[in-house]
Amino acid sequence: MQKLMMRYLLISTFFCLFLSCKSYQIPDAVEVENTLPVVQNQYFSDASLDYVYKTHIEIYGNDMSGIFIVKRMNDSIHRMVLTTDFGNKLLDFEISKNTFKVNYVFDKLDKKIILNTLRDDFRTLLQVNNKVLKKYNRNNETIYRTENNQYYYIDLITNNLNKIIKTNKRKEKVIFTFNSKKTTFAENISIQHHNIKLKIEFNQIIN
Amino acid sequence: MKTKLLLLTILLCSFKISTQEIKMSAQEIAKFKETVESQSKSIKTIKTDFVQIKHMDFLTKDIESSGKLNFKVPNTLSWQYTKPYQYSIIFKNNKVYINDQGKKSTVDAKSKIFEKINKLIVGSVSGNMFDDKEFDISYFKTKQHYIAKLIPKTAAIKKMIKQIDLYFPLKENTVSEVKLIESSGDYTKITFKNKILNAKIDDAVFTN
Repeated sequence: MQKLMMRYLLISTFFCLFLSCKSYQIPDAVEVENTLPVVQNQYFSDASLDYVYKTHIEIYGNDMSGIFIVKRMNDSIHRMVLTTDFGNKLLDFEISKNTFKVNYVFDKLDKKIILNTLRDDFRTLLQVNNKVLKKYNRNNETIYRTENNQYYYIDLITNNLNKIIKTNKRKEKVIFTFNSKKTTFAENISIQHHNIKLKIEFNQIIN
Repeated sequence: MKTKLLLLTILLCSFKISTQEIKMSAQEIAKFKETVESQSKSIKTIKTDFVQIKHMDFLTKDIESSGKLNFKVPNTLSWQYTKPYQYSIIFKNNKVYINDQGKKSTVDAKSKIFEKINKLIVGSVSGNMFDDKEFDISYFKTKQHYIAKLIPKTAAIKKMIKQIDLYFPLKENTVSEVKLIESSGDYTKITFKNKILNAKIDDAVFTN
């Protein structure tokens, strides 16, 4: 009996090890040779525009709503502000690939775990140029793997960026979905977390 | 050419004078406060349209929204945005009812800070917020307005709002414009238009 138990344990340990070592793989995708040095997310790239979206945030069963405002300040920095529907500021950040400056944060949101999560999300959302490491093909999509285990899904017909998937090497962590008619503007954006109960949605405000 | 320049200078100077803020005397302040307070005592309801401008220095354009506001004494308030999207918030019986493009929710507003915010909003609309315990207040006048500048004393409010400017047209005794200035200098400006005092307001307006 003990022997059997040992064997079982050994097998399951081995099995677990094997499973957990398996790195993230895109189903049905084929790796191809990459020639593109940089993949672009152009949805927040025009420095002459003020990007304004209506925002909904669902966090652990709590609902929040407000307005999300973004401006590209220069080649590397985006300024982003989240306000309530009344216009009171909740967050005011300046984000680049390597820097993060908090100009303002509403007291109740001033917690390290919240700020770090939002910093990482907004950095991925706003970053225009992303260095490509690998390229994959799947049906009508090209998928670029970039630094920090991020995958950019480009529609081959429209050339639009449809999705960014952030992984923690093995599993999908955060999925950014873009709904767009052209490569430079997304009407709707959603950020869905898989390891925590957080979902952020942005919808274009039509005047 | 010289005359033109002179004319322009005079024109600019006179413009400057008309918007120039002069500190009110103690006597003027006392009279002004008395008028506003007695007027606000006679207010049972307020019905008005509003235009809201959010100014942030880093943006190219200000963000504009507009809607309708209804107020009933002592503290029932409906603040309804109709442009660029539908969003309404109703303060009633220590509760806040929100309707966000059809999605309804209710928040308990019994917390101290919420009470203060509620008082602030109601006070801004009616003009009766010369509360020396809550604010350091200074009074100015221009050719068009009396202006009350309120600096919050509560730390929690102060962190959100550096100063509130209330504009009263010289011939009216209620607020026509509210400017909420953040510590960064960015501000929200709310202008009231088509204001009607003491009109009958249907209770449905205050129902989510």
